[in-house]
Amino acid sequence: MPIANASAPAIQCDGLGVKIKKKTVLDNVGFTVESGSLAGLLGPNGAGKSTLMRILCGLLQPDLGTARVFGQPPGVETLGRMAFLPDRGKLPSWLTAREWLRFAEKLYPDWDMPRVPELTAALGVEPSARIGAMSRGEEARLQLLTCLARKAPLLILDEPFAGVDLLSRERIASAVIGEQADGNRTFLIATHDIREMESLFDRVVLIGGGTVRGVYDAEELRAEGRSIESCYRDVFA
Amino acid sequence: MPSTYVWNPGQFRIDPARPLYEQFVEQIRAMIAKGTLAPGTRLPSVRETAASLRVNPTTVMKAYQELERLDLLVSFRGQGTFVTEDEEAIRRSRKELAITAVRQMEELAASIGLTLKQLIELSEEKE
Repeated sequence: MPIANASAPAIQCDGLGVKIKKKTVLDNVGFTVESGSLAGLLGPNGAGKSTLMRILCGLLQPDLGTARVFGQPPGVETLGRMAFLPDRGKLPSWLTAREWLRFAEKLYPDWDMPRVPELTAALGVEPSARIGAMSRGEEARLQLLTCLARKAPLLILDEPFAGVDLLSRERIASAVIGEQADGNRTFLIATHDIREMESLFDRVVLIGGGTVRGVYDAEELRAEGRSIESCYRDVFA
Repeated sequence: MPSTYVWNPGQFRIDPARPLYEQFVEQIRAMIAKGTLAPGTRLPSVRETAASLRVNPTTVMKAYQELERLDLLVSFRGQGTFVTEDEEAIRRSRKELAITAVRQMEELAASIGLTLKQLIELSEEKE
């Protein structure tokens, strides 16, 4: 197994292009997410966010350009170093949270069982609850728990807050921050909840119409008197 | 070890169009000046603060560092971060806050053609 370059950025995309059924979905997409960053991937519906995340997971080959995860092309090896929370992902409805977590323990070689009780408490997941009977917010918290209970240094979350109640959003945001603050975890989070979540990010990538419309350092934007929300409006409105 | 202060997100009023770390510095500084944060109070760690206020940990780290530079916070390895017990540092900080506030008031007075003294006299003038 090749040793991943420790100093390589967590994510590096250069000139990514994707066409699906002759429609250009991504066009010359390039950006970098440094290791240890908590980056936001912001853009309207249909901007290409999910396609980009599929490339980073190795689920889709770009027609043009390169994607690198810790310096390596997305594939089986990089999947071992990242956790992905898909938009509209579904966990098996017939299991309880506890049963699912036991299953996940066997599924993921980097599962960190000693941390599960702490994360379960922090995210307010009820172990005996049946997944099929959970609210959207409860299931979203269990999905995030499944990502965070791995030791994977990169976490890619596709719309973790969408359709989730306020208190669940707050718990999810607090858990993400706690994990990132602990050290070497990098997050890329696609979200629409810009106003509520803008203080989370140290960096934002704005993507629209399949192209990168800007990459900003959050505090540098604010030093110019702009909020992330106003920047988003300037770019997309 | 003293108990740790617990932040309440409602304690901070955050303007998303100004650097967040500056706002945390200002508001924690005001809490120390006012005594809401008493000398010797143990503050939550950067991680706990960031998670409970839901802001990027780098922001909190920068705010704590700046407050340490102002001698208002002190950290001891392995024990955490505390509000200073150095009354002189707190007095200095309050004086700087007072000077800044007066300067702002003077600018405001000048904008309507008054000195600060005239502004106060006018506001207190009986009808």
